[in-house]
Amino acid sequence: MAKHFQCTACGKCCYGQLPLTWKDAFANVGRFPLCFAWTPVQKGSKDFALASKIGATVTLPNRLEIAILIMPLAYIPSSYPCPALGENNLCKIHDNKPSRCKAMPFYPYREEKFQAELLVPKKDWGCDTSSNAPIIFQEGKIMSRKDFDQEREELLEQVPLLKRYTEYMQKYSYSFVGSLRGKIKGSVVTSLSSFLTATKSPHAKEIAQQQLPILHEYAAKTAEDIKWSDFHKNYVIWAKEMSYLAR
Amino acid sequence: MQTCPCCSNQPFSNCCQPIIAGEIAPTAEALVRSRYAAFVVRDLDHVQHTHAPEISDDFNRAEAERLAEECEWLGLHIHSAKELHDQAEVAFVVKFRRDQKVISKGAISKFRKYDGHWLFVSSKPAPQIEHLGRQKVGRNEACHCNSGRKFKKCCGNLAEAR
Repeated sequence: MAKHFQCTACGKCCYGQLPLTWKDAFANVGRFPLCFAWTPVQKGSKDFALASKIGATVTLPNRLEIAILIMPLAYIPSSYPCPALGENNLCKIHDNKPSRCKAMPFYPYREEKFQAELLVPKKDWGCDTSSNAPIIFQEGKIMSRKDFDQEREELLEQVPLLKRYTEYMQKYSYSFVGSLRGKIKGSVVTSLSSFLTATKSPHAKEIAQQQLPILHEYAAKTAEDIKWSDFHKNYVIWAKEMSYLAR
Repeated sequence: MQTCPCCSNQPFSNCCQPIIAGEIAPTAEALVRSRYAAFVVRDLDHVQHTHAPEISDDFNRAEAERLAEECEWLGLHIHSAKELHDQAEVAFVVKFRRDQKVISKGAISKFRKYDGHWLFVSSKPAPQIEHLGRQKVGRNEACHCNSGRKFKKCCGNLAEAR
């Protein structure tokens, strides 16, 4: 069935957490508070094959094999706007915005043929999906696929880094990987410092210097908001780690 | 006299302090003790320098610095230590308070001797020994964390909440 879609620039999808490619995370280290989200994908899931390819597979302590999607993440509470969302709901970095934003409403963490399910706008979003809007997806194929392919390509490029990160976490944070076992839904987050150590990043110091003021800013923004106390706590502890790395 | 934070009941200056300052740890157990004490006194150079060369880059110093600062270190209990030639294995339990929770973590760590120096090689969790580090303390006795409160009002209570 043909799917129609037209962005109306309502800005509603520019709130909350944003998965990034490492390339985009690195380019925006002075803009977004960053961490990594680990999302288990069970073996029976139709997303398992792709998740194994762009993420990692691990064998849990109970010998169950699962795939894990590991995403660099702009770690922003769902009621907070993207820091690049300008007045009139327009993006302040439109020409250089992350691949994730460009590829909307598609999502290359899932197979192309499953994209139709993702084309249902959330309740208060202003996307035009009427027959007046252009057809963007038909017979299991994306019509205009440049941005989807670009993001997918970046996801494939970063696989060796994510594999190294997973091996590191399995070796040194055995209990963390075990904790993914019971997670049927949702994800667990890890710090940027663990990724930088695991991948032996030569840019750790400059990354930390740019990331530190952002974490301080978000820690201050969330300090008085009990709803986001988990976010606040993470901003504070990650800022401590970045302040050590930034020295 | 400052008692050694490693729970040996020896003076710090006769126990872990000289090892943290760079003297050779005579046994792998002594190295477990000095590395724990280094977290307590927040001198993590010692921890960093006692990683085996093949894993020295893997040490997340930033995270370790944060943990050293955040945790209140409540004790180390050596469960067993085995040495054979240049290899050693030490099972131990570390107890600490973090986020108002008292946590016991058991681990079995492997060490190897390089040029006469014991170095840390790897570690795996050992939840099966975690109960062994706990002192038996009556609910109405003074809490072992030196808070001055009764156990049931302090760590005993928190342990239940966990």
